[in-house]
This record gives sequence, C-alpha cells and structure tokens, in this order.
Amino acid sequence: MPALLTLVVLFGGGLALALAQSLGYWPALGRETLSLDVYRLVLSEPEFWPALGFTLWTAGLATVGSLILGVAGALLLRAAAPGLGLTSWFAQLNLPVPHSVGAVMILLLLGQSGWLARLAAAFGWIERPVEFLILTHDPWGLGIVVEYVWKSAVFVAVSAWAALAAVDADYDSVARTLGASGWRRFTSVTLPLLRPALIGAGTLVFAYTFGSFEVPLLLGQRYPSTLAVLAYRDYVAIDLDRRPAALALSLLITAVTGAVALAGWVAQRRLASETGETSR
Amino acid sequence: MSSLKVSALALALALSACAPVAPSPAPPTEAGATTGTGDSPPGYAGQAWDDILAEARGQTVDFYMWGGSDVINRWISGPVAEHVFTTYGVTLNLVPVSDAPEFINKVLSEKQAGRTAGSVDLMWVNGENFRTLREGELAYGPWAGFLPNSALVDWSDPSVANDFGYPVDAYESPYGKAQFVMIYDTARVPEPPRTVANLLAWIRANPGRFAYAAPPDFTGSAFVRHVCYHVAGGYEPLLGAFDAQVFAQKVAPCFEQLQALEASLWRAGETYPESRARMQDLFANGEIDFDMAYNPAEASSLIAQGRYPATARTFVFDEGTIANTHYLAIAFNAGDKAGAMVVANALLSPELQLSKADPSGWGDLTVLDPQRLPVEWSDRFAALPRGPATLSDAELSARRLPELQSDWLAAIEAGWIEHVLQK
Repeated sequence: MPALLTLVVLFGGGLALALAQSLGYWPALGRETLSLDVYRLVLSEPEFWPALGFTLWTAGLATVGSLILGVAGALLLRAAAPGLGLTSWFAQLNLPVPHSVGAVMILLLLGQSGWLARLAAAFGWIERPVEFLILTHDPWGLGIVVEYVWKSAVFVAVSAWAALAAVDADYDSVARTLGASGWRRFTSVTLPLLRPALIGAGTLVFAYTFGSFEVPLLLGQRYPSTLAVLAYRDYVAIDLDRRPAALALSLLITAVTGAVALAGWVAQRRLASETGETSR
Repeated sequence: MSSLKVSALALALALSACAPVAPSPAPPTEAGATTGTGDSPPGYAGQAWDDILAEARGQTVDFYMWGGSDVINRWISGPVAEHVFTTYGVTLNLVPVSDAPEFINKVLSEKQAGRTAGSVDLMWVNGENFRTLREGELAYGPWAGFLPNSALVDWSDPSVANDFGYPVDAYESPYGKAQFVMIYDTARVPEPPRTVANLLAWIRANPGRFAYAAPPDFTGSAFVRHVCYHVAGGYEPLLGAFDAQVFAQKVAPCFEQLQALEASLWRAGETYPESRARMQDLFANGEIDFDMAYNPAEASSLIAQGRYPATARTFVFDEGTIANTHYLAIAFNAGDKAGAMVVANALLSPELQLSKADPSGWGDLTVLDPQRLPVEWSDRFAALPRGPATLSDAELSARRLPELQSDWLAAIEAGWIEHVLQK
C-alpha cells in the first residue's frame, strides 16, 4: 500500500503538474489562465505530423520485427531445450544493457565509420569506410529499429517461451500424428497458443518504443524525428515558452501509449473469453 | 537549457584537474580603497569600497550556479572560498543547481511572497537568463561598475557590454569568456579557408566533407549565425531588438544559401549531426574535415586525450567569430549584497582570473583586458601553458563578434528548421 501511494503521488502528481503546465498554468511566470492554445500550437507545427508518422513507423516496425525474431527464438529455445539455467542466462543477456548504451553500440557497429564499415574497407569491398551502406541516421530509421529489435526480441522470446512451456506439449504431437506439416502445426497450433503472450509482449514493446527518446536521438536523422525527441528538444530549448509545448507533446505520447495498452488489454480479454467458450 | 549551461559544459570538456591559485605577488587592485568608475550601487549612496568591505566581513554569500562540472565546483568551493574567507572574512557557500531557471524561479517566488532578505545572493548567469532576471526586475543593480577590478575590463568591447545583445548596464559583472573557433586537421586541409565566403566555396568544392550540428545545438546554431552575419553583410544590422522586417530582408537570404549548400554537405544534407558530441565523432573518424567549438582550448584538450590527431588546429574567421561572456548577477532581494559584491570583485581579480584560466583546471578565458593589466600580470596570462591547437589571446581578442539578442537567436533557429531542415 505505501508503495502504491508513492506511485500515485509521484506519478499522478507529475502527470497532473504536466497537464496543468501544458494547459498554460504557470504561476511562477504569472500565467494562471487555462487554455488549449499549446495543444493547438503543437498540432499545427509542420514538424508534428511527420514526427507522428515516423514514430508510428519505427515503433510498428520494431514491434513486428521483435515479434518475428522473438517467436523464432522461442521455438529454437524449445527445440534445443537448453535447460532453465541456460535459458535464463539467455534471457538476461542484454537485459542490463540500457537502450542508450545499445544505441551507441549499434552506432559503433553499423555507423559509416563503424566497425562493419571499416571491416568492409579493410577487405577492399569498398574503397573508404564512408562508402558503406547508410544504416544509421537514415531516412527509414533502420538503425533505430535494429536497436529496438535487438533489445526487445529477447524479451518477446522469453515471454513466448514461457507461454509454450506452460501448455501441454501433447498438442503438437497430436497435430503431428494427424499428419499436419511443420508450417501447418505452427500456424494452427503454436501461434494460437502464443497469441495472448504475443499480444501482451507486442503491446509493451510498442508502447515503450513509441515513447522512448534516447535511441532516436542517438540513431535517428534530424528530421523527421520522433515525438519524444521533439518533446525533449522543446524541453531544453532556450525559450522557456517551449516548456509547455514539451509537456503537451509528452501527454500526447502518453495518450497514444495508454490507448495502445488499453487496446492490448481488451484484445487479451476478448481472446481469453473466446478460448474459454471454445474449450467449454 | 540555458546557453550558460551549454557553454559551461563546453568549457568543462577541457578540464582534467583542479587549478591551484597562483602564488600572489601583491595584486594591484585587489584590496585597495580605489573604486571602479561607476557610481555607488543602490543602497550605498556616498559610500566607498572600504565601507562595502567592512559590511561584507562576516557575511555568508550563497552562490547559486550550474553545478554540472566537478572541476568548476572544486575551484569555487576550494581556492575561491578560501581566498575570500582569509582575505575578506566572507564565507562562500556554493549552491549547485542543474539549470539556471531553478534559481531564477526561486527568486521569482521570493518576489511573489514579498521576501526581503532573500536566500539567493550571487548567481552565475548569461543570455536568456539575464534577460529574464532583468525583465522580471529580479536583479539588483547597477553595481558592477563600482567594483575596483571592473577598471580592468574593457567595457567598450560589445561582447562584454552586451549579454547576448542585452545591455549589461552594470547589472552583472563579467566572469569569463567563450569564443567560437573552427577546428581542422592540417594533415587533411593544410590551408583552411579563413573567411566564411571561402569556407562556403570550399564546402561546394569538396562535397560531403563538411557538416554542422543541427540548431538548436548551441555550436551548430552559432555556425548558422556566422553564415547569416556574412550574408547580411555584417552583424551590425541584426543588433538591437528583434525586427521582423530586417529579419525578412537580411536573414531570409541566409536560409536560401544554407538550403542551397545542403547538396554539398555530409550526407547531402539529408540529415545533420544532432549534437556537438556527434560532430566530434565524425571529425575524429575522418567523415568530415572541420569541427567547431565554443571553447578555444577544447581541440588541444581533445588532442591531449588522444581523441583528435596531433595535427588538429583551430582558426577564427578573418571577419571574426562570435564571442560571449558569462557573468555574475545579484538577486534584487539578496540578504548579503555587500558580500556578493566582494566575491564578484575577487572573481574579477587578476589572481583568480589567472587561476581560472589555467588549462590544467577550468581553462576558462579571462574577461580582463591585457592592456589594462600591469605588465607583470599580463605577462603571467601570456605565459599560461597553451595547447598546440589553441590560438593566442591576442589573435582571439582581435577577432570577436557580438552575440545577438535571444529573440533573434530563437527566430534564426526556428527559421533554419523551417527553411533548411524541413525543405
């Protein structure tokens, strides 16, 4: 209970203050009227819509990529059955590495003066490192997506592996005795079993990547950037008047992630009641 | 983030160790009864500097400043605090904050609450923060001209008399200086283009080899201002309060030039480095041939750290580069104004300015005018060890351009984003 109280006071209080300031309430500067002007301003700025599109794109691609790689990882884990010790070691492989460090690692690896570029130049595939493929700070946000996938796929794999381990392995054997091919078994047995876990993990990955700012700041091109980077720039702008805009953007991000989390929760509930009915 | 914080951060990059206070051969204007050229500050009519010294004895000065650099904090709470305590009996209490708006908000709330003996005495500020202080009537003054050591400052230098284009009017006392320099590598570019026009020509002749950090990055924004000064035919038309007409006439063509330049930039201008740190990486990795910095000693420091090649050097444009000054201000309701003035005067003394400029410590440029210093002191400043890539004080100070008022800065940054970045 004290923990919950702390959470409500600190988190809820911060949210309330942010909401107040984004509505223009800032008594320290003698501003005490509430209005939606800041939101109107933010939505009318030319950088907003490209940023929203770019954020949806990178977060969406990162989620899909993490789900695919994560499921593949879970299946491999199940097939190899390395035992719990090795599995949990695998699960913690990149867990303690912060995203910012991950982003710098990606830059060192994939940047135009990065490790791969130098290797390619050393092997004579390209003349100079700068001729290497543009994989970071690129228009498609590939560097950003690679970093997110690198970090999140493991999380998805572990969730999916746990879901697979929790259900009876006989389902698969039954399908096999009924003559189902490998692909057929995957699509009609494994995937449906995984669906609740994947919806949960996918929702978390999307919500996180949608609101995260350090990776696009380090690996993204300058324009368009993601909403969180826009909010950061507004927050640290020389002009104190940009502060409310930063908070308005943050609240818009919170609203989107909240909506996604809600949608994920509803989808999971619906799935649970559906499977409940069919098994009855 | 305040410009102060960023420039302080840039300066702090050069630091490695704490600077000891130089052994003192009788500082010329340190403790004497002489006053500066200004009139007595408000509340001290008819009083002399000695009266202020007497009142200050026993006071505790709360010095609010950006506390993000260990080496600066250690210098203040070590040598400076010891000096003002043993010499004047003033206790200096460093109050580190993460950003200047924190203490500005504090003074503001004290004003709203009607508190007379305020908790903030001395503040380290510049640019936007000083303007906020002045416009909110939160700064005490005029007082800076009354300090004996202010006679060692060249107040006719526009980059001292104006804080980002806002007249100082003795409401703050200069503390240190920063100046923009270009960094290059003699191994790659033996003879750098020394004017903005020649640099632009060089960029067009060497596509893909030049980049600047995207404004509002502090250094990238300064580079854009240099180009805009050049396109406007000098900084003069842009001085003073913001003028939309002048902006449309003189600055808009600058965006056209920068837009046209994009094709010749690193990555064909499709993206820009987002920070100074990224610029350093690109330069160190040989992706670009020029870097730029607000701290003239930074390149030397990076060479010493092995991050830049030993052949890296700096230059300033023949027409000059933007310099700015950082300052000390006193809160309108400071409880210990006399003590704050004594500390500000001590920080302006040749002794502490020299200690501050030591490249093995903070390495901050002095605000004292070498020509106003007794020869023994100007010699000691000239004899400060200086890295292989750092220009001489004489070369730097001969080529200083003023900053613009922050409204201009904001307009140029917004215009760049709209007309260059998003095009």
